This record gives sequence, C-alpha cells and structure tokens, in this order.
Amino acid sequence: MTRPQRTVLNNLSSYAFLLPWLIGFFTLTVYPMIYSLYLSFTHYAIIAPPRFIGWSNYKVMFTSDDRFMNSLFVTLRFVFVSVPLKLIFALIVAMIMNRKLALIGFYRAIYYIPTLLGGSVAISVLWRRLFAFDGIVNIILRNIGWANPPSWISNPKYALSTLIILAVWQFGSPMIIFLAGLQNIPREYYEASSIDGANKVRQFFAITLPGLSPIILFNFIMQMTSSFQAFTQAFIISGGNGGPLDSTMFYSLYLYLKGWGFSEMGYASAMAWVLLLIIGSLTAIAFKISGGLVSYGGGE
Amino acid sequence: MKKQTKTLLSSLAMNAIIIIIGFAMLYPVLWLFSASFKVPNTIFTDASLIPKAFTLNNYVKGWRGIGIYGFGTFFANSFAISLLSVVANVIFCSITAYAFARLEFVGKRFWFGIMLVTMMLPSHVTTIPRYVLFNRFGWINTFLPFIVPKALATDAFFIFLLVQFIRGLPRELDESAVIDGCNKWTIYLKILMPLTVPALITTVLFTFLWTWDDFFNQLLYLTRPELFTVPMGLRLFLDSSGVSSWGSLFAMSTLSLIPCFILFFSLQKYFVRGIATTGIKG
Amino acid sequence: MKKITMMLVILLAVTTLVFAAGAKEAQKSDTVTLRWAYWGGEARIERSEAAIKIFEAQNPGVKVHQEPSGGAGDHFVKVDTQVAAGAGPDVINMGGNYPDYIPGGPKGHLTLDLFPYAEQGLINLDVIDPGAIAYATVDGALYGLSTGANMPALVINKSLIERVGAPLPPVTSSYAEFRQYLIDLQRRLPSGVYAMQDIGVLASNSTPFGYWTGYNGTPLYIAAEKATKVTAADAKRYLDLFADYRSLGVIPPADIAASYAETNADTSMLVAGKAAIGFLWTNQVDGYQQAMVDEIDLIEFPGAAERNALWQTQSQVYTINKDSPNKEWAAKFVDFLVNSPDAAAVLGTDRGNSVSSIARAVGVSNPNEQKGLDYMAVAGPHTMPENDHVPNDTEFNSTLFLIYQRVAFGQISTAQGGQEIVDLLNRMIEK
Repeated sequence: MTRPQRTVLNNLSSYAFLLPWLIGFFTLTVYPMIYSLYLSFTHYAIIAPPRFIGWSNYKVMFTSDDRFMNSLFVTLRFVFVSVPLKLIFALIVAMIMNRKLALIGFYRAIYYIPTLLGGSVAISVLWRRLFAFDGIVNIILRNIGWANPPSWISNPKYALSTLIILAVWQFGSPMIIFLAGLQNIPREYYEASSIDGANKVRQFFAITLPGLSPIILFNFIMQMTSSFQAFTQAFIISGGNGGPLDSTMFYSLYLYLKGWGFSEMGYASAMAWVLLLIIGSLTAIAFKISGGLVSYGGGE
Repeated sequence: MKKQTKTLLSSLAMNAIIIIIGFAMLYPVLWLFSASFKVPNTIFTDASLIPKAFTLNNYVKGWRGIGIYGFGTFFANSFAISLLSVVANVIFCSITAYAFARLEFVGKRFWFGIMLVTMMLPSHVTTIPRYVLFNRFGWINTFLPFIVPKALATDAFFIFLLVQFIRGLPRELDESAVIDGCNKWTIYLKILMPLTVPALITTVLFTFLWTWDDFFNQLLYLTRPELFTVPMGLRLFLDSSGVSSWGSLFAMSTLSLIPCFILFFSLQKYFVRGIATTGIKG
Repeated sequence: MKKITMMLVILLAVTTLVFAAGAKEAQKSDTVTLRWAYWGGEARIERSEAAIKIFEAQNPGVKVHQEPSGGAGDHFVKVDTQVAAGAGPDVINMGGNYPDYIPGGPKGHLTLDLFPYAEQGLINLDVIDPGAIAYATVDGALYGLSTGANMPALVINKSLIERVGAPLPPVTSSYAEFRQYLIDLQRRLPSGVYAMQDIGVLASNSTPFGYWTGYNGTPLYIAAEKATKVTAADAKRYLDLFADYRSLGVIPPADIAASYAETNADTSMLVAGKAAIGFLWTNQVDGYQQAMVDEIDLIEFPGAAERNALWQTQSQVYTINKDSPNKEWAAKFVDFLVNSPDAAAVLGTDRGNSVSSIARAVGVSNPNEQKGLDYMAVAGPHTMPENDHVPNDTEFNSTLFLIYQRVAFGQISTAQGGQEIVDLLNRMIEK
C-alpha cells in the first residue's frame, strides 16, 4: 500500500487534528513563555508595571545571590540522590515481584499507594510531624536504644534527607513501569542462559539490564524532570521558609519566594528560564550518553 | 517432595518479605488513618497505630469545614474539576497523539520535539501571564482555567504516552480501514481508540490524581469559598494565627484519599497493561 | 465500553450541576457586590461571616463575598496576582506590611486614601483612637483603618511555673532581673523543658528585634530619613544576648528551637509545654489559651518600664483597593466593621482590641480577651510611639530569620551576624 500523499489537502486535514494542541501551545505556552522571558529582563513587583533592567537579574543570580546558588545545590543534591535511589528501589522491588505471585495485584497496589498520596498536603504535614524532635520516628528510635536522636526535620544536616526519604518512598510509579518492562523480557532468554550455566548475577547484567535499558532511560528522565521542579513537599514541610538554614530551599521554592514573597517577579522569571536550560541540557546529555535509544519523531 | 517444599517455602518467604516491606511503606498512611480517629490532643503523643482515645468526632467536625461551607461542597467542586479535566484530556490529548503518531504533515518532527520540550517547563513561569489572560476572559472563579488548558492539550506527558502506545499498533489496521473507506476521523475513533483503552485509562487515572492535588492553581483562581476544593479546604485547617485543627485535617485528608484509592484499584489492571504496550523498550 | 458510558453519564450530570451553579451567579446585576479578602482559620471565618450577615441585613441590595486564605502568605500571593491582573478584591486586610502598597511603596500603589471618605461622612473617624489613625497615615493620607490594637508581650505558662514551685515572674522587670529569673526558673524545670523559647526563631522575627533596638534608642527605621539607626555593634549585642541565654541553657539549642515554627498555637513551644515563657501578641491570647489546659498570662518585656520601650500597634488594617468599582460601599463596610457595636460583638478581639470608643462599649465576651486588656492597661504607660516599619517586610523577616539561624547554629559569629543584619536593613531600605 502506498503511504499517504503529502498533498496540501492531506496536510490541512492532518493539521486539523493538531489544531487544539496548536492553539493551546501558542496561547497558553508560547505567549506566557515569551512574556516571562521578557519579564526576566525587568524588575517587576507585580502591582507596579515592569521596569527594564537588562541582564541584571541573571548577573545577580550567578555572582551575588548566595541563596540562589544554595538553592541550586540543594536541588541538585536532591535530584541526584533521590532519583537514583528511587530507581534502584523500584527496580529491586519490581524484580522481587516479577514472579507468579498469587496476590500480585494486591501487592502492586500497596506499593503504589505512597505515590497516590504524592502531592497531598496531608502527607507533607504528616511527614513533618513524623520526623520532628518528639515525633514518631524518634519515639521508635528511643525505644530501640538510641538515647538522643536528633531532630531530623529541624537540623540543617538532616532536613533535606527527610525530603529525600519522602521522595524515595514514592517509588511506586517507576516500579510499575519496571515491572511491566521486566514482564516484557522473554523468559526464554533466562532459560537459555541457565542451561548455558549463567548464575543469577550474570543473568541480571547480561539480560535484565540491557533489556530494561530504554525503560531505565525513560524513568530517569521523567523522574529527573519532575524532581527538579519539586515544590509542595518542601513548601509545607519547611513552613514555606526553606529552612532550617535554607537546607530545604528547593529551586522552585526559592523561585516562588522571590516572585511572590519578595515581589521580584522579574528575578523569578529569570530563574525559571535558567531551570529550563538546566533541565534541557541534562536531558540532552542523557539522550546522548544513552545513544539515542528512544526515537524522537512520531513517524516510522 | 523435597523440591516442592523448597519451592513452597521460598515462595512463602518471598511473600513474607514483600508484605513486611509493604507494611513499612504503608506505615505513614496507616498512621494517618489511625490519627484521624484519635482525640486531637493525643494525636502527637500517642505513637501506636491503635488509638488509645478513639473518637469519630474528627470526621463530624471536619466535615463541617469552615462553617459556612463544608467538605460536601469542597468534594463536589474537586470532583467537578477533576472529572471535567479527565474528559478534556482523554479527548484532546488522544486527538493530538493520533496526529503525531499516524498522520503525515509538514514539520511533524519539529512540532513533536517542541512538544517534548514543553514538558520541561517549570509551571510557575506561566502562572502570571496565564492569570492575566484568563482574567481578561472573565474566567476567574469558574472552572474554565483548569479545563480549557486540558482541552487545548497542554499536558504533553499524556500526548507522549499515547503516541508511544499508538505507535505500537500495527499500521495494517489503518491501511485496511482505508480500503474499507474510512477517513482519518473514523480511523481514529473506530479503529485506534478502542485499542488504546489501556493508555487512555492511564491518562484518566493520572489526570484525575494530579488535578485533585493541584493546590496552587486552585488557590489563585478560586477565591469564593463556595468554590473551594478539597486541598484548599485542608489548607484552611492549618491556620496561621490560631489553632490548627489536626483531627479535622487528618480525618478529611483520609477522606480525600478515598476517591483516589477507589479509582486506582478499579483501573489497576488496565494501567499496567497500558505501560507495557507503549513500546518503550524501543 | 460500559464503564466509559457510565463515566460519561456521571460527567453529564456533574457538568449540568456546574453550569447551573454558574447560572445562579449571573442574576445579580442590580445588587452591589463587595469582595473582602483576609486570612484566618475556622474561628475567624465564622466570626467574619456573622458580621457580614449583619451588614447585609442592615443594607439590603448589598452582598459581601468573603475570600479567606489559610495564612497571610497565601493571602498576599493571591491578592498580588489578582491585582496584577486588574481583578483585586475591594476590601483587603493587611498587616504591618501595608506600607509596601502605598504610593511609592516597593510593591506598587494599591491602597486608597480614606480621609476623603471620612469627610463625606462614610467613615466615622471621630470615635477612633488617634494613635490608630496616626498608625496608617502617611504624608497626610490615611491608607487603612485599624482592625484593633494590640501590643507585644511575653506570655507565661502560669500553671507550669506554679507546678514546679517557682515564683511567678514580675510583670515588670529589668534585663538583669529577668536573666536571673530565667536562671532560677530553669533550675526547677524538668529536663527537656526550657525557661524561655528562643525568640529569634519566630516568623515575625523583627518584632523582638525591633523591641531591642527601640530599647537601645536605635530604631530600626526612620521613614523621614529613609535610614536605620542600628549599627553592627547593636545588632551584635542582640545576638550576644541570645547566645548568652543559650549557653546558660535557659533557651533551647538551635535545632530544637527550629522544630517549633511558632507560626501559631500548634507550632508553639509554649503550647507544647516545652517552654515556660514565650512571645505573643495580645490578640492571640484567646486562641492560645483555648489550645492549652494550663493557664497562661502576660508579662512585659524586660526593661519596658524603665525606658518605655514597648509600643501599641494595630494588629491589622482594613484597606480599600484604589481600583475598586464600589469604593463608597467598601468604605461603609469598613466603617461598619470597625465602629458598629453589633460587628464588635461578633468579631471580638480576634483581630485586636477595638480602637473605636463606641464599639468598645460592648465590652469583651470572655476572660481570655480580658487578660489582653488588663495587660494593655498595665503596659500602656510604658510605651513610646511605634517606630516605622522596615520596608519590604516579608523579605526582611525571612532574611533576618536566616541570619539568626546561622548564628544560632554556629555557622557565623555574632559579630558577623550583626554586620549582616545591618547590611540587610540597608538593602531593604534601598529597594
């Protein structure tokens, strides 16, 4: 059969299907993006009109704003610790569950529940109380013999770790995706290699990992992108101040604070663009390293 | 005999491990659930999962909400927004995905790449300009600011997911449909969509969950208490000047999780199938 | 397929409901609608609704829609965004940050001058305490009407102190006496309970610091001169004061202090029973007492009497949006909230003690509120006129908090902290 002709009529009718997305893209994405790019070169206190100040915002960000650099490092730490941990747990648990288990549906649901609660206010509030000085975690720790556990949530050394734990706790999503991916690897490969004398470890590295590699990439990029934009948990757990000592001041939180709290919307817009560039670059690097395993075009 | 016992034991052990880890994972949720039944000033002192001082009052009091509007109203609003968003996303993301996955047109690669890039945009960037726009249309205090973006397919994540899924369906289906006299629209509706149900169900679940929890946008666009949603109602319990109502907060939080649970449990099996056949393995 | 059909049916039902609700809104063309934005929780929302109902009953044809937010943070985010889009509310509550919204203020001009409305007779200023009017008057224009007066105070857990057999602190004391009292009290307290909370770890951090600088005669900010009188040495002495308390063990170490955000009664160390003395505004007494079984009472900051270092301020102000389409009705509503005895009866001292003599005649409804009044009676004479607020209030508080934490956690020295505070003050003033 012949491929559809690239006629004008054909193009137009195809574009008809694309119309909603195009309208949305131009009005709700492009226009705000361009407007925010413009704002990034201004001082905009929200109520008074924007005032053009050139590259000033960007300059300040990288040369004199310690809190900005701090928020960048905090976020990078968060992303590059929580994402790998999340994926590792997801993979391990997926492998454990990749058997003919009677209650597989039930188990899957249990492990997915934390993710369901994800952005909810209640869980963040709960987490804060759980890890407080007199919180449940410490009560348990004291009961098993640790006399003086620190106040996790209010100690600058540990506060970020509680947020990392919260993120890793929600490994349900990538786990389910891994599980599906594992179930797609033909059993015959394992059986054949068993016969050839390969042990479980060898099988893992020779069959499982390569078979899963496109999914690992997909999960990694999806998780990385959303982790960079993490906001709600840090906002509620730190009470909105990114404390203690700015140790939980995520990039998005600082952006929010600068924009609405300190009325520097121009600066916040500049921050947003910098973030976009960072995420974009890291994603491009990830694709390059993985040798372009996922094809971009929608065409065949 | 021995081999059978060994397999049985190892299977039991496996199940046991999964359950133990599962329990640890669920502990915070169980705690939340049990806290909702505890007398408020024992919530943070009573560490056990079984309430020492049991009460149903948190639910009664919490349901009343802020007095003038209760959680009945908040739930209704949340449901309305979430369900309408689901419909909008399912319809319009799938149409767009169909275009990218199956149709030929000039600039397809370019637009597809652009679409992927929009996924990486921090949402705070577009907040004020969108607010200005929606305000000019007079859409403040309506549900339109939530639904129209969905209807204009701005959720690139779902477009991507659906594209991957449709690509996994053989082109022969399309081609035989053309022979039978179908046009683009009929192919989309009658042939491809029924086979895409698993991925559509995934879209339904995630759209519902993410809209249900979208506190920030709801804060900005819904200023009248009669339009408040569940997350906003929960926030009101965390009063900054007086006493927070922890009991009510946890009780209503538990309730707010129930629709999400129900939706997930009933859609589970489609969901895994959906991810498995998106052809992500490349 | 069946499932999808069912879902679509549900959807249809919901959609009809939604549009029906929308239709109901539409038929209000001849009524005047006012939008009132403020922050607060359950209790305050109920009180405000009661006041609204009274106003609507007295003024048929006028509808007031309240737009509460959980906290001041959410409130200003929402209001700022709305105003930027030209859709701001008519009546807006503000706190000590109202100068950010006056002509020439860092955020832009939002607040309406109320004097012309008083001259038209829409607002009765004659019965309002002059101090309350002066508070919100800048360059001859009145930008807000006080919701009520309050004063900063130290709050004590009376029952706790009596339980450990210690004497109650004197209402009035000097810094030396106060320090000694803390030491003596700490000796009797069980481990894990501290004599005083670390006052630097507060959301409204600048208040204790403002008290200290006022006490020293070096005010934080003088609007007329657009300058601060605080030097790095002054700021250092403030940080040293608390470092001293910390080394004596009368206030908690930094990480324990940090776990109490002190934004409201349940992030309060005092309410949790872990501190005997804390900081409170008089209008918060009722809320805090209701959260505690132990009895609380108010005492003055040390040194208040000797230098009249305390001040009376206004808890919040009602402002009117200068672009409101219903300015006259907004003015009448604000006048109602402040001056009407009916309104005062339902609003109580939740937003401060009434500054209107005719509203005050109603009296207070509960003994907790009475405590606030008693305190103000004693501490009233020990006051000076309030100092100007540092501009860019939010950022000032947020950064001061950070500096204070750095010193408390030992990251920087008090000398360095002092210098950073002064730099911060100057930066906020320049902005």
